[in-house]
Amino acid sequence: MPIAAELAQTIVDPRAYAAGDPVDEAFRRIRAETPLAQAEPEGMEPFWVVSRHADIMTVERQPDLFHNGDKSTFLTMKENDGMVRFITGGEPNLIRSLVSLDGQEHKDLRAVVFPSMTPRAVKPMEDSIRAIAREFVAQMLERAPECDFASDVAFLYPLRVIMTVLGVPQEDEPFMLRLTQELFSSGDPELNRAKKEVNPAEALMLLKQTMEDLEAYFGAVTERFRANPTQHINSLIANAMIGGEYLNRRQMMGYYIIAATAGHDTTSNTTAGAMWALAERPHLLAELKADPAKIGAFVEESIRWTVPVKHFMRSATQDCEVAGQKIGAGDWMMLAYQSANRDEAVFEDPFAFRIDREPNRQIAFGYGAHVCLGQHLARLEMRVLWEELLPHLKSVELAGTPSRTISNFVCGPKHVPIRFSVN
Amino acid sequence: MCGFEYDEAIGAPDEGLAAGTRWAEVPEDWFCPQCGAEKADFAMVAVG
Repeated sequence: MPIAAELAQTIVDPRAYAAGDPVDEAFRRIRAETPLAQAEPEGMEPFWVVSRHADIMTVERQPDLFHNGDKSTFLTMKENDGMVRFITGGEPNLIRSLVSLDGQEHKDLRAVVFPSMTPRAVKPMEDSIRAIAREFVAQMLERAPECDFASDVAFLYPLRVIMTVLGVPQEDEPFMLRLTQELFSSGDPELNRAKKEVNPAEALMLLKQTMEDLEAYFGAVTERFRANPTQHINSLIANAMIGGEYLNRRQMMGYYIIAATAGHDTTSNTTAGAMWALAERPHLLAELKADPAKIGAFVEESIRWTVPVKHFMRSATQDCEVAGQKIGAGDWMMLAYQSANRDEAVFEDPFAFRIDREPNRQIAFGYGAHVCLGQHLARLEMRVLWEELLPHLKSVELAGTPSRTISNFVCGPKHVPIRFSVN
Repeated sequence: MCGFEYDEAIGAPDEGLAAGTRWAEVPEDWFCPQCGAEKADFAMVAVG
């Protein structure tokens, strides 16, 4: 039995994700009625909606059976597939990054940056990250009694951290922020390149221009780091050799782009989401100030709560079965992380923000071979921010209604107006 | 954290751990080749 048409439309609708509740309600019904079934929203190829936590883990632990790169790794309109393949010379994804690779190529490319992103590798960064956090906390406190926590703090702090790790000069940060927003928010007239509503074909052309701007920038980066290699991640990418050869242009650009965009947008969303949750729960601020050891759990729950990456797509490489459903070779599948992080089978009170979940099996970083490369850095920088900020806050509350990005892919708070008092 | 399973029968030859290397013999500073989690973060599970 396929998923009801109105539910299928809701779970692909960027405005429904911006509103929040409609998507949560749609997935609640999908988990209850058709937990692994096909959806066919208007203008899209049909796809299986993997709505349960356990089923997403089943798919993600079999990367040879379920590929990332054979079809689009993100929800796209049918009408755009032909144009993407024309632009890329036959590939289904505009950008050839880690999230769209499989097999040995995926392993080889991931290995270039992985050693720099293990818990052991990021730990020595803590002191310099703390210095950055203190700078942003000081700036925020100067804005008392009000600020937009999203645009004044959450969008900027993770950006500074990742750009430091990548080796991008501070003066290029506004450019990186703008292009990230253009890449991930093509459906949001406040953030997209055109600054107005666009149809899918126009969105694709705008994305192509954004990608070209990023590629021009990173072409120069490659030359600079080949002339003078450093330990920065962009230098590792520029100088990486696989089988005795540099990465090809598509691989290199894909890597730079994903590191520069996914490396902060997700953490920004989660940080803003955490403050939104805190501003609505005065008892939580008191609890965290009384016992800062709970900040780690607060960070983990804020990730479960915000789910910055709402979905990734997979496709089956052969006929197979998942949760009793027969999946056909080539079938497109949506891993619905927003749904998995509210799965009643895994989380007691899934719609409550609770820092006492032990363990917290949230799956926003994914699972298996493609699990988020940056997860340890993300957790570290968020923990450090709250450790530095919370002791200064006497109180915090919302000063208006927060709003979210209009996007079905990377989506989180865009504005979080708060009123706060300082100790 | 990421689901990687260390199977003593297989070891981790790419990491210099021959097939048959017992978990207790895996160096304490070894970490998951998939997600970087430390040896201490692994949980023993029964399989098969």
